[in-house]
Amino acid sequence: MTNALEIRNLVKRFGGLTATNNLSFDLSQGESLGLIGPNGAGKTTVFSQIMGELRQTSGTITFQGQEISALSTPERIARGISRTYQVPRPFAELSVRENIRVGLMPDSLRSMIFGVVDHARETEIAQSVGFVPADLDRPASELAMGDLRKLEFARTLATGARVLLLDEVFAGLTTGEIGMIAELIQDLRGRGFTFLMVSHDLPAMEPLIDRAIAIERGTLLAQGSFKDVLANADVRASYLGEA
Amino acid sequence: MNLRPHHFILWIAFIALMLLMPQFVGNGTLRTMIFACYLAIFAISWDILSGRTGYLSFGHPFLVGIGAYTTAILTRRYGFPVEASIPIAVLVTMVGGLIVLLPALRIKGSYFALVTLAVMELMYQLVPVVRPDLTGGTRGISRLPALTRGAENGYYLAVCLMLAVALFAWLLMRTRLGTALWAIGMNEESVRGSGLSTTRLKSFAFLVSAFVAGLGGAFYAHYLGTITPRAFFDINVLFQIIVAVLIGGAGTILGPIIGAFFMVFLLEWLRPFLPGQERFFVYGAIALLIYMYQPRGIMAIVESGWVRVRGARQ
Repeated sequence: MTNALEIRNLVKRFGGLTATNNLSFDLSQGESLGLIGPNGAGKTTVFSQIMGELRQTSGTITFQGQEISALSTPERIARGISRTYQVPRPFAELSVRENIRVGLMPDSLRSMIFGVVDHARETEIAQSVGFVPADLDRPASELAMGDLRKLEFARTLATGARVLLLDEVFAGLTTGEIGMIAELIQDLRGRGFTFLMVSHDLPAMEPLIDRAIAIERGTLLAQGSFKDVLANADVRASYLGEA
Repeated sequence: MNLRPHHFILWIAFIALMLLMPQFVGNGTLRTMIFACYLAIFAISWDILSGRTGYLSFGHPFLVGIGAYTTAILTRRYGFPVEASIPIAVLVTMVGGLIVLLPALRIKGSYFALVTLAVMELMYQLVPVVRPDLTGGTRGISRLPALTRGAENGYYLAVCLMLAVALFAWLLMRTRLGTALWAIGMNEESVRGSGLSTTRLKSFAFLVSAFVAGLGGAFYAHYLGTITPRAFFDINVLFQIIVAVLIGGAGTILGPIIGAFFMVFLLEWLRPFLPGQERFFVYGAIALLIYMYQPRGIMAIVESGWVRVRGARQ
């Protein structure tokens, strides 16, 4: 399998704090990889560096065989990688349909002004994540947390990305909503999407990933199958608090 | 943002009322309306940038002033015909504004507002002292060529210009670009995270805003016939523009127009009772009350009234 993403010797320093410490890992095409670690381990910082929202101090990020460190976030998304956030960030006053429309927009002023709105594609994406037609014209401010997660998924999918970084994908969801989102991820996995996901809900995440890596203070502790990683003594000590 | 029948009804009624107005009112009222039309143009210009993207510009009088001064200098000092000086003035406003204010678009929140305010204040201080042979110093430039003769013709020109600007802004905001600008105002990070270059979007909004401000400023200068630094680069001009948008309804096209007319006529109505500056207290209090009652302005009050009427009928 070719690698969708290769992280090599990634370092991020904030003054005297090292948030990512010489981190290296690969994400194969079509793979689903879980990134675990205690609070403050630097998981979101890794996501932000991959997406170009934070520039790494050193190290390389290669996507589909090309180094992308110099690219802006929109340029990285145009290459086919996108992310969701720990706390959903909808456009509150826009409808579900309009939120998806923003994700579908090409990054070109001419197309944005003269191009035609693709209502059919908006509806298709909304329905693919579980929205019903009656939801499409509801403002995002009226949605419950589970629906906001679905909306974030929909907008991320609308960008055309095939590699998705999911940050705390189950945070704030009810048991029913977790099942709904898990089903959605399984469906996307079946359609060949590649995932790097962060979640503290390990039982919910386990069936959704092929393998896991564990980090603490930005340093790689272990990688391998989910069970092997959780059995690792360092991981148990740092993440599960076992001596 | 879907078009509803009452939107068309509102627009048609509004345009008809505007065009028929000279049949019903005297020249004094028409002159007040001309000022309201130009204020509405400046307010629409401000709303295109600030009402949509949330980047509060305190420097719009600077843009209006560049347009006004450029056409004034070209026509009075260099003998340019108005047909050439106005397009050049618009272009200069866009380029000048871009050079001076665009770097500020990388700054967020109140810092952006402060930088733009500083630019306007800088112009107020510089215009009278730098090349007064061109700018006329504190006395400004007078005897500018007029575009029309008489209040009625001046009114039609101002109304047509305002309606053209409103139609242009309305068409632009109905595109996907309009949606993207709205989205920036709600969550800029998410727009970037959706794959769109927000710097490019904001720059474009700024250019369109400068285009409208320059156009309005140039026409307004020729209507006035005389321009001075105080008439343009002044904090009161800025407040009039912003208050017109806020009490009319930010993020709409009719809102800034309604706000401008409401404000100008309120001040005129208060003049006989309070001829001094104290009428600004009353006007400020009324604007504040409207804003407290409905932060989305008069447009939202009209919209909710319409919904109630429809609900009562059904």
